[in-house]
Amino acid sequence: MDNSTCQVYEDEIQSLEEEIKLLAEKYEDSQQESTFFSEEEILMSMYAFFSPVGEYQGESKKHESPSDLKAQLESLERDLSFLMKFTAIQFTSHSKETVKKTRNSTVQKHRLLGNCQALSFQLEFQLLEMQNKEKVSAVITDLSIIMEYGEDLDVRKFVSSAEEHGNLLTFFRSLSSFAEWYEHRRLTFLYFK
Amino acid sequence: GVFAHLAALEVQAHQAALKQEELEQQEEKVARLKERVQELRLQRDELRAKVDLQQNRRLGKGGAMSDPVQPSAQAVLERKIKSLKSMLQIFYLTGISGKLTKQGVCFCISTAYEGTYLDSYHVDLVLKPEVRILRHSIPIFIPLEQISKKYLQRDIRRFMSVLFDHLNAYAGRRYQADQLQEHFSDHIEGTLQRNSLCNLLVFKYDVSKNSKTFPFQARLIYGDLCLSLPTEVLVSCTPDAPVSLAEVAAAHSDLFRSMALHKAFRSFSSTEHIMI
Repeated sequence: MDNSTCQVYEDEIQSLEEEIKLLAEKYEDSQQESTFFSEEEILMSMYAFFSPVGEYQGESKKHESPSDLKAQLESLERDLSFLMKFTAIQFTSHSKETVKKTRNSTVQKHRLLGNCQALSFQLEFQLLEMQNKEKVSAVITDLSIIMEYGEDLDVRKFVSSAEEHGNLLTFFRSLSSFAEWYEHRRLTFLYFK
Repeated sequence: GVFAHLAALEVQAHQAALKQEELEQQEEKVARLKERVQELRLQRDELRAKVDLQQNRRLGKGGAMSDPVQPSAQAVLERKIKSLKSMLQIFYLTGISGKLTKQGVCFCISTAYEGTYLDSYHVDLVLKPEVRILRHSIPIFIPLEQISKKYLQRDIRRFMSVLFDHLNAYAGRRYQADQLQEHFSDHIEGTLQRNSLCNLLVFKYDVSKNSKTFPFQARLIYGDLCLSLPTEVLVSCTPDAPVSLAEVAAAHSDLFRSMALHKAFRSFSSTEHIMI
């Protein structure tokens, strides 16, 4: 009789531990999203950090000096800025939510807003990432794409095709080349006006 | 008589003591587990409250909130870094991502078949005095030199785009061949024959599983390296196959030309009973 009581408790412990893990992840994710500090706020806090009179408030999780962090931040910002210029894909908003987490896999729901030249898009998808030894594999599911087509049937075509097959990659590549062509056409048209 | 009786009583007492000990251990265990459950329940409730508060705040106020507890500079930096890293990861999903280097830029090309991401490749570029490839992880059978000769100097975007098309198409062809081998090996004679570029596939197959004969012979040529569908398909029947199968072979030929290989097999292996 006692064995089954133990089992019940043990089952509950396992489910509580999983729930806690999920909630902690959810908290972290939301913390990410809601942290939209303005550039000024960041600069101000960085100055406070470096000023000799200022107090050091935080505890450092890793042994990264503030100048390391600052350098890292700047490097990441440069990389991102370059990619957005190179691919013409600009992301304006990104949020994610962990839906499921096991020992070697994570499923996250993403919401992504952005534009490519004159075309703006709104994406939602689920991303499953699995760790297999050193390799991480990724699979997209439940892809939903919202775009304003205008009169462009070509856009409608590649959007519905990408959505149907869950092909996020093709969507972005098509978007990029379409925008390039669109821009080229617009400039050519202007030239001949 | 007496001794035997005493011995029996002793054994009884010993067993009772053992049982008692066992019971006590069980009770202890149950008590511990109960405590742990309560501990975790408390932790879970606290977290839930935290998350709910977070959600309420998010819905209540707009983007710029006045947080009663000022985050430390360290925390601000770490959070911003985390968010940028997250953004860069998203770029990985778009197919072309990368990182600036001292001498130029190291691009990363990711490939995928529909929603499944496959291998990724790197091209490390030097920009001065002229654009050239410092190192790369592009497989040798991809015509990298040809592509770079044509585009690298005059238009890096075009170069990347064409290189991407080649790599993604190759990844798609390989994926289809792998899927066929993995899920339809019971329809194929032996192993699927393919070259490293996966643009030439040769195999013998049957529509039904585990059959002893493979009446169909297929030869698929993917003439356009930027496509993952074949440009030339030849499906023939082996000389000893019944004549009626010639029509089926022709139908399959069209099928392979218009549909991914593993999907084509899926379609006729599920309708094998609805055949001419």
